[in-house]
Amino acid sequence: MTELQHRVRGVDHVAYPTFDPKGTVRFYRDVLGFPVVHSICAAGWGPEKHPDFIHFFFDIGNDDRLAFFYYFGLEPFEGGPQGDSYSRFAADVPVYFIRSRHLAIHVDSEEDLLEYRRRLDLSEWPVEMQIQHETIESIYTHDPNGYMIEITRALRPVTPQEDLDAELTIDALLDVVDGPDPSLGALLARKAELIVERAAAWEADQQATPAPAGSGGA
Amino acid sequence: MTALYVLDVPENAGVAEVAGRDPAVTVVRIGPYFEITAEGPIVIDRRATGCRHAVWYSSVAGLGRSRITQHDKDALRVEPA
Repeated sequence: MTELQHRVRGVDHVAYPTFDPKGTVRFYRDVLGFPVVHSICAAGWGPEKHPDFIHFFFDIGNDDRLAFFYYFGLEPFEGGPQGDSYSRFAADVPVYFIRSRHLAIHVDSEEDLLEYRRRLDLSEWPVEMQIQHETIESIYTHDPNGYMIEITRALRPVTPQEDLDAELTIDALLDVVDGPDPSLGALLARKAELIVERAAAWEADQQATPAPAGSGGA
Repeated sequence: MTALYVLDVPENAGVAEVAGRDPAVTVVRIGPYFEITAEGPIVIDRRATGCRHAVWYSSVAGLGRSRITQHDKDALRVEPA
C-alpha cells in the first residue's frame, strides 16, 4: 500500500467547449444561478491556426468551477447523430456508454436538491430523471450543449467499511482484468479471497485507531 | 459449500437477515462483512429484504467457490461452483 501524501484540494475547474454561449449562460447563470466568476478574452496565436476565443467560468460551489471555451467562427465537428458538443457518436453506440461521462455537482440536503429541480423544471431544460441510487439521490438533465449534468445529495455519510470494500474491489479488479475471464463472477471470487485474508485484520485496526468516516471519499 | 459475502452497511441489513431465516444457512461476521454459508444453495427473496433495485443488484461483495444462478427482481440464488 502506498504512503503518498494526499495533498490535492478538489476540482479547480473542468472545461468543455460550447457552440452556444447564449444558451450556456442562460442555463448555468440564469436558470441554475451559478455566478460567472472569471473569463479570459484571447486572440488566437501560436503556430497552429487557432481561432480567437472566450474562456469563461461558473462557480459551482466550494470554490470549484465549471468552465467553457467559445471559439469565434468555429463550426461543430461531424461524427454521428448522438452525443454532445464535444463528442459525436454513431447511431449504434449505446446510451449507457454515452451517459457514462457526466459531471455530478454536490448539494447538502433534499431541500437543496428539490430547489435545483424546481429551477430546472421551470426552464427549457427540465429534469429528465430523479433517481435514488445505493446511497445517493440525483437529478439529471442535459445542458444546452448536450452535456449530461447530475445534481446529487448523499442519503447518509459514507462509512469506513465502504472505503475498505472499495479497496478490495479495486485490488480484485486489477487481479482479474488481464486474466482469462475478466467478468463480475471472477472479480467476486477473487474479492471473497481478499475479504477472508484482510477484513478481520482491518476491523481490529479500526477498533485500535478509528479513522474518520468516509476518509477515502465516495 | 456455498459462501456469499455481503458488506455490513444499512442498505444490506435485510439481505443478511433474510438469508439467515433459512435454518440451513449460517451467517457470521468477518470484519465488516457478513459471511453467509450453506451446504446447498442460498436463496434470498428480494421483496422480503426491502432492497431497492440499485441496492439489490450491487449487494454481493464476494463469492467463495460459488456461482450466482439467479439474480433478478425476484431473488438471488447462489450455488456451489
